[in-house]
Amino acid sequence: MNKKLVVDSSILIVLSRRGALEEYLRWEKHEGYEVLIPRAVARELIDEPRRLAEKIARKSPALASKITQSVEAIDAAIEDDLIRVVTIDFRKYSRIVDNLRKYLSQLEAKPEHAIKKGDPELIVLIIQLYDRFKEKIFVSTEDKGLLRALKSFSGRVEYEVLHGE
Amino acid sequence: MSERTVSILKEVGNPNKARIIAHLTKHKGENAEDLGKHLGYPLPTVYKYLRELEVARVVRSEVKDKTRLYYPSDFKLEVSPKRLMEIFEEQSILNLYKNRFGDDGMRRLGEVAEKVNAGKMTYRQAASTLGITYYEFVSLLDETGAIQ
Repeated sequence: MNKKLVVDSSILIVLSRRGALEEYLRWEKHEGYEVLIPRAVARELIDEPRRLAEKIARKSPALASKITQSVEAIDAAIEDDLIRVVTIDFRKYSRIVDNLRKYLSQLEAKPEHAIKKGDPELIVLIIQLYDRFKEKIFVSTEDKGLLRALKSFSGRVEYEVLHGE
Repeated sequence: MSERTVSILKEVGNPNKARIIAHLTKHKGENAEDLGKHLGYPLPTVYKYLRELEVARVVRSEVKDKTRLYYPSDFKLEVSPKRLMEIFEEQSILNLYKNRFGDDGMRRLGEVAEKVNAGKMTYRQAASTLGITYYEFVSLLDETGAIQ
C-alpha cells in the first residue's frame, strides 16, 4: 500500500512556479507516496490564482500568463492523478474543525468565520487518513504555524514531517 | 526564466552541491551511496542535496536495475550586474505588491514574515492579514528567498 503524503499548497505553488512540479510528484510516486490534498487546498491552488491572473491580465500580461501556467501545471497534476483531492468528512470531524478554527482565530485575534478553510482542512485530512489507515501519515509543508497547530494532535495521530521543521 | 536563473544560482551557490554537480559531470550515472563515499558526505545529506538539485533541474536521475542513478543536466548560467538587474526588474508578484501597497505594505510584509518565521502565524493567516491571496503570499516568500 502507498504511503500517504499530505502536501500543503505552499510546496505545490513554489514547485509549479519553478516548473518542477511534475518532476517532484513523479519522484514522490516513485518513492511510494500517494500525494493528497483536501478540497479547500485545491480551491486555493486553482480558483484563487486564476482569478488573480484574470484581474492583472491587462496591466501585467506576462505575470498573468506565468500564474496561469503555474495553475495549469497543478490542474494537470490533479487530472493525471499525481495529486488526489480528498473530501473531508465534516460530520465526523466537526468538533476538531471547530477547535482548530478557535485556536487559529486566537492566534491572530480574528473572528472564527474569517479563518481560511485550508489550515483546518489540512490538519483534519491528516487525522482522517490516520483514522482510516492506522499508519504513519507523512506531511510536507514549510509552514511552521501550521505545524505548530498540528503538534497539538501529536498524541492522537502518528505523523512525520518531510519538509520544514 | 528569471526564477530558473535564481534557483540555479541558489543551488550552485552552495559549494557542497556545486561539488556534486562537478563530480557527476566527471562520473555520470553514479548512485547516491557512491557519491556520498567519494565526496565524504553522509548519505541523508546526499539524498537531500540530490533532491534539491533535481527540483532546480540542475541534476536529473533515472532508475536502472532498481538503483537510481544521477546525471548533471545541461545548464548555462550567465551572471552580470545587468543580468541581475533584468531578472529582478521583471514582472513579479513582489513588484505587484509594492505598487499596490507601497512602503507601508512592505513594512507590514516584513512584520508578518517575522511572525510566520517564528511559527506564530500560518501562511494563510499571513495572507489574510495582508489582504492578499495565499498564492500571492507564497509567491512573495519565494521571490524574496524566504522559502527553500
